[in-house]
Amino acid sequence: MRGTRWLRAAGALLIAIGATACTAPGGQAGAPAGASGGGGGEGLPPTIKILSTRALTGPVSFAGINAQKGIDLAVERIAQDGLLGGSTLEIETKDVAASTQEAASAASQAIADPSYAAILGPEASAQAAAVSPIAQSAGMPVVYVQAGSEGVLVGDYTFRVTPPAQSYFALVGAHLAGKGVRTASVLFNSGNPTLVELGQKAVPALGEQHGFQVVGSAGVEVTAQDFTTAASQIAGQGPDVAFLMLTGPQSPVAITQLRQAGFTGEIVGMSAMGAGNLAPAGEQAAGAIWPTNFTATQAAPTSQEFVRAYQAKYGGEMPNNYAAEAYDAVWFIARGIARANSVDRAAVQQGLAAIAAEGFAGAQGDITFDGHDARVPGVLVRWDGAGEAVLEDGTP
Amino acid sequence: MAQDVLNALTLGSLYLLFALGMSLAWGTIGVLNFAHGSIFMFSAFGAHLAVQAVPLPMPAMIAIGVGIGAVLSLAVQVLAFEPIQRRAADAHTAQLQIIVAGIGIAGIPLAVAQYVTRSVPFGYSAGTFEVTVHDLGPVRVTDVQVVILVAALGIAGLIAWWLRAARAGLALRAIGVDAEVAAMMGVDRRRLALLTMAVAGGLAGLAGVLLTYHLGSIAPETGDAFLLKAFAAIILGGVGSIAGVVIGAMVLAGIETLVLVTTSGTWAPAIAFGVLFAMLLVRPRGLLGRMEVRRT
Repeated sequence: MRGTRWLRAAGALLIAIGATACTAPGGQAGAPAGASGGGGGEGLPPTIKILSTRALTGPVSFAGINAQKGIDLAVERIAQDGLLGGSTLEIETKDVAASTQEAASAASQAIADPSYAAILGPEASAQAAAVSPIAQSAGMPVVYVQAGSEGVLVGDYTFRVTPPAQSYFALVGAHLAGKGVRTASVLFNSGNPTLVELGQKAVPALGEQHGFQVVGSAGVEVTAQDFTTAASQIAGQGPDVAFLMLTGPQSPVAITQLRQAGFTGEIVGMSAMGAGNLAPAGEQAAGAIWPTNFTATQAAPTSQEFVRAYQAKYGGEMPNNYAAEAYDAVWFIARGIARANSVDRAAVQQGLAAIAAEGFAGAQGDITFDGHDARVPGVLVRWDGAGEAVLEDGTP
Repeated sequence: MAQDVLNALTLGSLYLLFALGMSLAWGTIGVLNFAHGSIFMFSAFGAHLAVQAVPLPMPAMIAIGVGIGAVLSLAVQVLAFEPIQRRAADAHTAQLQIIVAGIGIAGIPLAVAQYVTRSVPFGYSAGTFEVTVHDLGPVRVTDVQVVILVAALGIAGLIAWWLRAARAGLALRAIGVDAEVAAMMGVDRRRLALLTMAVAGGLAGLAGVLLTYHLGSIAPETGDAFLLKAFAAIILGGVGSIAGVVIGAMVLAGIETLVLVTTSGTWAPAIAFGVLFAMLLVRPRGLLGRMEVRRT
């Protein structure tokens, strides 16, 4: 009797394993184990669920809150557009603040729940780097905004819609060459991999290409608040231009202290200077320039279409790059699902890969992909003391 | 060189202003308040909200910051630390619970400021005060730097004198040495504890407002970074010693500035804290720990 029960249990287990094997990753060759959902091409369900892990609170909430606005607008516009036929895109947002554990936990829960077709990943690189291996091994497509460090794009299932700053940084070089810049100093945040790479590699490379020499380069700790000494050093070096590869909150402080130290040359930053971060420095930051993947006044028709829709929805508020990137990310996922005509995760991955290969026009302008990493023409922006204005548009 | 010395003194004075309140509360009534950084930030943030509504001069901003800091610190003492001290089995347990409570409480003002500002830096550009830069031979100094230097060293001197010469200061030191014996001698421990926490909070508020003027803007997370530096300065100088805090803050700022000036700067925190660690191996009680015997 006991032996019969064991045989029945073993038989049931074998049947279950067989059934799982039959429904595993949509029959796609080379897809990672663990992907769930039905076979590809069976059409779209009435509701398509996406998990969005955002930093709506905490130190990067300035990015998360603005991204959420872009997401909400994109969902509305996709419904109006009819891209997904009669299906509704439902984005469930989880606030993971700055917690890597919470981001990884939320992603794991979504992976275990077969009703989720994809994940809109967290902004912070540390969080993204924790989510990516889990998602990749489970066959869950993840699309990131921000999350610029290495280790985020780890395989076929991971995509990023925010282009790396290095890819459009060349815009600065041509501008500085035109102004006859011969010498430069660099101040970079030594705790941020993207900013370190920009400060230690991208700027010197730009100098070699456009004929200026880096006469000083210094790092500051990740949470540095006071730049008095660094500012005095740069003012003493007397370069034509100072590159400030710092975080958003650090940028207005560094600019203010550079000017107080007597530095009168050009100041170049990066996209962290956007999103209103220079407002506290006001007039003292006037003239600071930075290359960015999006500004609300860039010329691309699809960018302006996005800006108009955003202003209509949010009472005339101007969108920033975080909103634009998230808007593009949602459209990217929706296009991938529409192309797959399925919410099977392996099929969605194939759909996303196909859209990435073609590129599309979005809020950031014409978006192409280098592998799974987005590229945009970029735009050079100038702070005029009260707001940002386009100096040079990378769109041909 | 002169400019670097001035920069180091300014940075040290900022650490000092922040650390004075922490040190006073820790060294006398035994409260190591890890919400001090949050009170510091929220006082500056409160002044920012005020100046957005009405353009205010610097003295009014300082008064607002000091007031908010004192009220917040008192509230933390009355609503959290006092109940812990009443219920804890012994003083050691109470101290540990106060540390944990402080860390928890610190999250509340931080979350409020992050929510309101969306973690975008805030400053006082709407106020009537404008920073002026003076060229004094080889150095450039702002009027805010002068205020910071005078305030930090002046207040440190005042507190040190008060603790040594004033009746209430002596009573407070007596609590630091033995709270039970002090109470038997007629010292009103609760009243002095409230006074100490109010002064500590007010100093945090003063530091927050002056730092915001000095930097032009701060972020909601600024207090966290300063908390670590202030803690290091207090440990280095010797817990409870005002002179020790002054020396600790200046040494820490001096090492950081020296590293920034002589290297690429990337190693500043590692070298600064490495030197502190090495020094504490030699003098575990801090630089003035033995001279001060126990408490200020």
